[in-house]
Amino acid sequence: MTYLRVRIIKSRIFVCLNEEWQNNLYSKTMRNVLISVFIALSACPSVFIHAQKIDLMDQLPEQYQSYKATDWLDYTGEALYDYINGGAELYLSYGLAGMTGCKYNGEGLPQVTVEVYEMTSPKNAFGVYTQSRDREEYAYGQGSQSYDDFILFWKDRYFVTITTHKATPESREALKYLASLIEKAIPAKGEIPALVKELPTEGLTPGGYLYFHHYIWLNAYLFIADYNIVDISDQTDAILAKYGDADARCYLLLVAYPTDEAAQTAGEKLKKQFAPELTPANPIIQLEDTTWFTLRVKANKLCAVFNGHTRQQVENLYQSIYK
Amino acid sequence: MEAISRRELLKRAAVLAVGTPLLLNRPVTAWANEKEAASKVVLIRNQQLFAGGDTPDPVICEQMLDEALCTLTGKKEAAEAWASIIQPSDIVGIKTNAWKSLPTPPELNEILKARVLSAGVKEDNVSIDDRGVKTNPVFQKSTALINIRPMRTHAWSGVGTLLKNYITFAEKLSDYHDDSCAPLATLHQLPMVKGKTRLYVLVLFTPQFHHLAASTFSEEFTWKYNGLLIGFDPVAIDSVGLRIIEAKRREYFKEDRPLNPPAKHIALADTRYHLGTSDPSKIELVKLGWDTDTYV
Repeated sequence: MTYLRVRIIKSRIFVCLNEEWQNNLYSKTMRNVLISVFIALSACPSVFIHAQKIDLMDQLPEQYQSYKATDWLDYTGEALYDYINGGAELYLSYGLAGMTGCKYNGEGLPQVTVEVYEMTSPKNAFGVYTQSRDREEYAYGQGSQSYDDFILFWKDRYFVTITTHKATPESREALKYLASLIEKAIPAKGEIPALVKELPTEGLTPGGYLYFHHYIWLNAYLFIADYNIVDISDQTDAILAKYGDADARCYLLLVAYPTDEAAQTAGEKLKKQFAPELTPANPIIQLEDTTWFTLRVKANKLCAVFNGHTRQQVENLYQSIYK
Repeated sequence: MEAISRRELLKRAAVLAVGTPLLLNRPVTAWANEKEAASKVVLIRNQQLFAGGDTPDPVICEQMLDEALCTLTGKKEAAEAWASIIQPSDIVGIKTNAWKSLPTPPELNEILKARVLSAGVKEDNVSIDDRGVKTNPVFQKSTALINIRPMRTHAWSGVGTLLKNYITFAEKLSDYHDDSCAPLATLHQLPMVKGKTRLYVLVLFTPQFHHLAASTFSEEFTWKYNGLLIGFDPVAIDSVGLRIIEAKRREYFKEDRPLNPPAKHIALADTRYHLGTSDPSKIELVKLGWDTDTYV
């Protein structure tokens, strides 16, 4: 068996050859094969993407004060399970191109870990971020969350976490330094999904909405259904948003489908399984727990309001989308 | 188990005249099966557990484990209680959890090992392991398992539970990830696991009730609950642990903040896989020790 493995770490290309290849390395044929491989690799878009990702890794220092880079991380697709098991599903549910990073250790210092999740698009990096925030904060990138023991942010198609086992003055400094360094290494900004701009701003809880493509996240704010009741998929953009104060909170679900027909089908499914008594003449109904609910489909978008405390609250929220 | 929506739960709640907020926060209880006998779960807490610093006092840990097991087994003496679950001829795997940010406290691992040895098991026949269990010779030939792990929120399964702690026995981890880890109870059917577990210990010394992203950890989202939940029914124990986490979230956020995603694998362990009971009304919860802010 012969094999050749190419890895690019910190701008250096490592070519691993097994013994059989090595024995023939100096033959003209082998040289030609290797040259052909590199020409092919450099023309391949996936390698280009990978090389860009590695460029970001290049910005990570080998050393920061008493910290030294000890373990370089590089995972693609389901290999991420080896690193964070089920936690990988969060990233995979949004479309993950790969994760790179580094662990930093120093004598007597708590470990610091950098993880750079490269998503397939900026909107997916933004989506992961919306899952990962409790408040509005913009200290790093296009949105961040800073605590004593971790910093996370998103920028362009990257979602970045920098964590430490224990918050100490040294580890906190390292977190801030690395966050700034990585932020600067990402030159571009990513577009926020267009659907977000359709959210009414009045009454919206600060930082209180999720953007997603997987039905699992439908229950993030309140239990709606334990199955895919509105046909959410990679082809849809969905937002779940919180409105009103905690004691009078209602929830807006807004889903954009690839076609008007898909939206109509999903709307009919939700109506049949959730609120069959809805009619054009009676578009807002009161449920058994006294809360108000509406569901409407317009063009390729489905809009539903859950948990309204008054009929007017639901109507106002709906109307503010289509005003 | 049938698919269920919020509306279906509301209709059932109206028929049953059950408080809907309770029901909707815990759909796990809405369709639990009837069980012949209640599952006994012991919650023990000690206010002084961390009085000496950041690490739990090993003497108090020992007392907590012994007292809880005596209550669980109905034995008066600790030695008698341990002897009732572990035989000298047993080969015992202590399935711990080594997640870097919130591992099973090493003090508890060592106490369990000491108790297994004092029950007459040979030193070579006891091992503590997490990610290496599949290739660990003791686990490979084990006759008994003890499942111990801390409770924490989780980005895909809602919470990290005793049910989830056996995932390192799986050949392919992702086989158990579908539908937010719905099939985790089936790990108990794996040959290395099936019928072997003698004791479950869910550690709530400093449980994690919230997280951001998948691998971040902050002490901000933990608190000193100083508790252990032990029993023979992992579903019942996880169910009680879940109620504690949910209650803490309500207190911290000052509003209902459901786990995202919901921890449905606990309910399904009951209703679909019949591994135990998740219905609080069918769990006999015995509470010992410190009783402030118990949440259950």
